[in-house]
Amino acid sequence: MNLKNRNLLGLIYMMPALLFVAAFVLYPFGQLIHTSFTDTSLLGGGKWVGLANYTKIFFGDPTFWKALWFTVKYTLIITPILMILGYLLALLTAQNNRILQFARGVIFMPVVIGLGTSSLLWFWLFDQQVGLFDKALVDLHIASKMIVWFTNVDWALAGVIISVTWKVVGFGMILFVAAIQSISREVSEASMIDGASYWQRVRLIYLPLTARTVLLVTLISAIGSMLAFEQLYIMTGGGPRGLTFTSVYWIYQNAFIKFQLGYGAALSVVLTAIIMLAAAIQIALTARRATQ
Amino acid sequence: MKLRLISSALALALAASAVSSAAMATDIQMWVRASGATAAQHLIDLWNASHDDKVVATVIPDNQMVTKLATGSQAGDVPDMVSFDLIYMPDFMKAGFLKDITAEMTADPNYAGVAQAYKDIATYDGKIYGAGFTPDVSVLLWNKDLFKAAGLDPDKAPATLAEIHEDAKKITALGNDTYGYYFSGSCPGCNIFVTSPMMVAAGSKLLPTKAGDDALTGTGVKDVLTEMKAMWDEKLIPDSAQADTGSNFFATFETGKIGIQGTGGFAISALKHDKPDLNFGIAIIPGTAAGQGSAFVGGDVIAIPTASKNADLALKFIHWELTDEAQLEGLAKNSIIPSRPALADNKYFKDEPRVVTTAQALGKGFTPYTLHFNDMVNSDSSPWIQMIQTAIFDGDVDGAISTAQEAMKAIAAQ
Repeated sequence: MNLKNRNLLGLIYMMPALLFVAAFVLYPFGQLIHTSFTDTSLLGGGKWVGLANYTKIFFGDPTFWKALWFTVKYTLIITPILMILGYLLALLTAQNNRILQFARGVIFMPVVIGLGTSSLLWFWLFDQQVGLFDKALVDLHIASKMIVWFTNVDWALAGVIISVTWKVVGFGMILFVAAIQSISREVSEASMIDGASYWQRVRLIYLPLTARTVLLVTLISAIGSMLAFEQLYIMTGGGPRGLTFTSVYWIYQNAFIKFQLGYGAALSVVLTAIIMLAAAIQIALTARRATQ
Repeated sequence: MKLRLISSALALALAASAVSSAAMATDIQMWVRASGATAAQHLIDLWNASHDDKVVATVIPDNQMVTKLATGSQAGDVPDMVSFDLIYMPDFMKAGFLKDITAEMTADPNYAGVAQAYKDIATYDGKIYGAGFTPDVSVLLWNKDLFKAAGLDPDKAPATLAEIHEDAKKITALGNDTYGYYFSGSCPGCNIFVTSPMMVAAGSKLLPTKAGDDALTGTGVKDVLTEMKAMWDEKLIPDSAQADTGSNFFATFETGKIGIQGTGGFAISALKHDKPDLNFGIAIIPGTAAGQGSAFVGGDVIAIPTASKNADLALKFIHWELTDEAQLEGLAKNSIIPSRPALADNKYFKDEPRVVTTAQALGKGFTPYTLHFNDMVNSDSSPWIQMIQTAIFDGDVDGAISTAQEAMKAIAAQ
């Protein structure tokens, strides 16, 4: 079979996936871009307005930029927590015996709960009157009285981070466990014979050999955090004083509460561009470090 | 022989008529907002029991109703009739999504008796597009046991906001995590429902109806916010109120540790069911001076989408739901206030005078008529909720009002 025929055959094999992506990703994304240049509202409209929506984003909507900054702050805080905690848990549970397998199962369990459900669960756990989490803090003398978590932006952020960490840390842990278990035993044993301590093995063997998984989990975690919505919608309602709006929450507010679909589409395009740029930078930096 | 022939022919004719009647019967499709679904179902069941054309209800989650109706209207994929939050009527009427039923409603003597708030909100440019369906109205709720424990008259509701403040002091003084007053401080919808009537009762006009109109006029807004700020500063309201996005709007009163709060008429049946031992009273929400009182008229209106395939049947149902039979046997019998306030004096409410109070509130209540209601009030970033929070929790009453006035005017001008 010559090269041309092989390429054609490859294309035929890929066609179902390409068609799927074209129909369910590229076409809607094209529609989104088109809508972003119109004044489409849930109640009608659809007139072409050129760059008006984009001009409003950059020069007339400080709330979007505040929301974006809050989202970045949230991402910068939660991503290292998820990575470090996930990796430590993976190190603790990477061996295959029944107790550790059970522990992995318990830590992973919240991952299969819906984010909305877990957010609601934690909302009530944090409740000032009936919250068991608050009660535990008081009973353990960590807090002197029941805390009102969502009246202060820092406490609200802390509350959301605790709930999301509980919910998703198991996901990273499972991927890290798989990566650690795939490291050849000879390498690990050779380093032990050479007298490497446990933390030296972690730093000089495990981390470099699981770097690709670390990059993958970082990317998934960072992109997921940049798209945060449900947890804030349910737990803080954007409050106090709109200080916990995330970018996606603000898009939702504009598109579905204020009915401004065209403007919501423009906000979505801008957010997509920002996330793609950030992901590209992250991949480039990590790739450069890996080659050094 | 002749007799047998005639009777056979008659039997055949009757059978054919029955078959034809069954074949002619049509399902009337209806979308119902989830929070009004129980009340709507009482009416639908009553209609279906006596009509060949059955109403088939599809319950739509509250927060999806507007989106679904708007996108459905644009695509022409709509039910025959729809029951939804009355506050969105102006937006939908203006967008041309609803059928003009002016001639039919003005010819219906029952329509004249519908609560004025419903008639106002369903009228655009002098034309009528809907009617009241399943009403709810805001009222003041007080815990009689706590009033008694605090040395107050348990049968006397506070008649002014200042009295609420004074009573709240005495109730909070009982200690043991008991508080005099409660409201959901991060819930825009809850506050337009229970806080705005105090302002309106005190003479304020809240929302601009059209571009160029002023917002938050009169001294009522400032007086109410100042009094509530004082109650907050004196810790007569629990700290958790500041963060409540509405999830505790009602649950907190059920704990039995809240003296006074605003709520909806639904509270009567809910409290009787959930907390049968809780001794509570219902009153009209007061203003700042004695004799003032108002209420936010909420609930659902019924309307016919422009693209309805069975508009005639839907109209027949609307005429029927305004009759005495539907209002009394469908609503009042199930402890729901009729949308015709004159029917409040009925046999079903005789044993529950608190329901009569809610019906009276319906008669003297208001519904703000405005386009962009979500933008001005209901959104989590609305000028309305920003004003409430900045004034009560941060203490800047004047600044909060003037910022909200400007923001609302700008929204109205869009």
